[in-house]
Amino acid sequence: MIASLHDFCPASSLLSVLTTMRPEGMRGERRGREGHREAETRVPRCCRNLVLHPSDMLSRLVFVSASALKSSGPIGAGVVHASRCLHTSSQSLAPVPPLPEKGGKVRHGFIPEELFQLLYPKTGVTGPYMLGAGLLLYMLSKEIYVINHETFAAASIGAVIIYGVKKFGPSVAAFADKLNEEKVAKAQEVKDVAMSSLAQAIEDEKKEQWRVEGRAMLFDAKRNNVAMLLETNYRERVHMVTNEVKRRLDYQIALQDLNRRLEQEHMINWVEKSVISSITPQQEKESIAKCITDLKVLAKATQAKATA
Amino acid sequence: MTLSFFDQFMSPTYLGIPLIALALSLPWILYPKPTTRWLNNRLITLQGWFINRFTQQIFQPLSLGGHKWATLLASLMLFLITLNMLGLLPYTFTPTTQLSLNMAFAVPLWLATVIIGMRNQPTHALGHLLPEGTPTLLIPVLIIIETISLFIRPLALGVRLTANLTAGHLLIQLIATAAFVLLPLMPTVAILTAVLLFLLTLLEVAVAMIQAYVFVLLLSLYLQENV
Repeated sequence: MIASLHDFCPASSLLSVLTTMRPEGMRGERRGREGHREAETRVPRCCRNLVLHPSDMLSRLVFVSASALKSSGPIGAGVVHASRCLHTSSQSLAPVPPLPEKGGKVRHGFIPEELFQLLYPKTGVTGPYMLGAGLLLYMLSKEIYVINHETFAAASIGAVIIYGVKKFGPSVAAFADKLNEEKVAKAQEVKDVAMSSLAQAIEDEKKEQWRVEGRAMLFDAKRNNVAMLLETNYRERVHMVTNEVKRRLDYQIALQDLNRRLEQEHMINWVEKSVISSITPQQEKESIAKCITDLKVLAKATQAKATA
Repeated sequence: MTLSFFDQFMSPTYLGIPLIALALSLPWILYPKPTTRWLNNRLITLQGWFINRFTQQIFQPLSLGGHKWATLLASLMLFLITLNMLGLLPYTFTPTTQLSLNMAFAVPLWLATVIIGMRNQPTHALGHLLPEGTPTLLIPVLIIIETISLFIRPLALGVRLTANLTAGHLLIQLIATAAFVLLPLMPTVAILTAVLLFLLTLLEVAVAMIQAYVFVLLLSLYLQENV
C-alpha cells in the first residue's frame, strides 16, 4: 500500500485537496492511525493528510483517479503538473508587498501620463495635444458628436466638477492622509509607550541590582551595630556584677571592722574596769600623797623659776 | 426636435437588453471593496471614513434592535447617492427617476418597519396612531388621519425621490436647451442662461445628495418608531 503511494504521489497530492476538506475529527483519528506507519517509510509532506487504510474508501479513489488521470492524455498531464500541495509555497506566508502610495500620474486630471510618454518619441511634446484636438475636431465636423443642449449641460457639470476638485481636492487629500497618519500615530504611540516603559523597567531593575549590592554593606553595618550593642550590654552587666560583688565584700569587711572595734572597746573597758577596781584605798591614799608632794615640789620649782 | 424632453427617462434597452441592469450595477463596480491592508490609499480611506460617519450618524438615536439594519441602510444610502450623482453626467440614465425603482425600495422597507413594530411591540406601534394630548372629541378623527398618514409614507418616500430627481433633470434639460437655442440669437441672454444652468447644476448636486440622505433618514426614523 505504501509503495503504491509513491507511484501515485502526484495524484494523491491532488486528493489531499479533497482530504483537507474533510472534517477535523476524522483527520485527528487519521493521524493517530498513521503515526506508526510514518515510522516505516518517508511519506511526502503534502500527502500526510492522506491515509491508505483498507477500510477507507479513499484508497479506492486513489486508484480510480490515478488511472483516470494517466489515461486522459494531454489534459491529464497538464492537470497532474498543475496540482501542487497546499500551504507549502511562500505565497500565503510571505510579507505582502506594499501598495503604491500614490495613484498613477495624470495630466489635466484624467489623461494618464503614459500616453504622453508613449507618443513622445514619434511626435514630441505636442503630439498628444494634436491628437486630442484632431480627434475632437473630427468628431465635431463629422457630426459623430452632435452639439445639442446636452453639451451645455455637460459643460455646466464639467465646470462644477473641475471647480470642486480644484478647490477641495487638496484639502480632502490632506484629510485622508491625516486619517491614515492618526492611525499610524496611534500604533506608534502604543509602541513608543511600550518601549519606554520597558526601558524604564530595565533602568529600575539595574537600580535594584545596585541596591542589592549595597545590601551586604548594610548588613555588615547592622551586624556591627548589633555586636556593639551586645558588647556594651555585656560590659555593663560585668560592671554591675563587679559592683555588686564589691559591695557585698565591702559589707563583710565593714562587718569585720565593726566586730574588731567592738571587741577592742569591750576589751579596753574591761581592762579599765579591772584596773580601777584593783586600785585599793591604801594605794589611793599613797598616790594622792605622792601627787601632793610632787605638786609642792613643782610649785616650789616654778616659784623659783618665776623669781629667778 | 425629434427627441422630447421625457425620452431621457425612458428605461433604455438595446437590442432587447434592458440597460437599466447595467446602470444599476454601476455603483457596485465603482466602489472598491475593503482591503486586507491596515493602511489604505486615500480613496479607500475616505470611503471607509464616510461609511463609518454616516452609519454612526444614522444609528445613534436607534436602539440596539435597529442596528441590525445598519448594512442595509448604509448600502442603500451609497447606492442612491451614487445613482443620483452619476445621473448628473450628460447622456446618462438615472434609474432613480423611475417610480418603479423608488417604490420598490420604499414599500418593502417601510412595510418591514411596520411589521417589525406590530410584531414585537404592537401596543407601542399602535400608540403612534394617536399623538399625546389630543382632546377626547378629536380622537376618532385623529386615528383615521394618522392611519392615512402611516399608509401614505411609502408613497411619499418613493414619489419624493422620483419627483425631485425627475424635476431636476428636466429643468437642466430645459435650461440647457434654452441656452443652446438662444446662443445664435441673443448671446448675452444665452450667457445669462448658462450662468443659471451652472447654478442649477450646483443645486442639482446638492439635491441629489440630500434626497438620498432624506430617503434613508426617513426610513431610519420609521425604524426608530417601531423597533
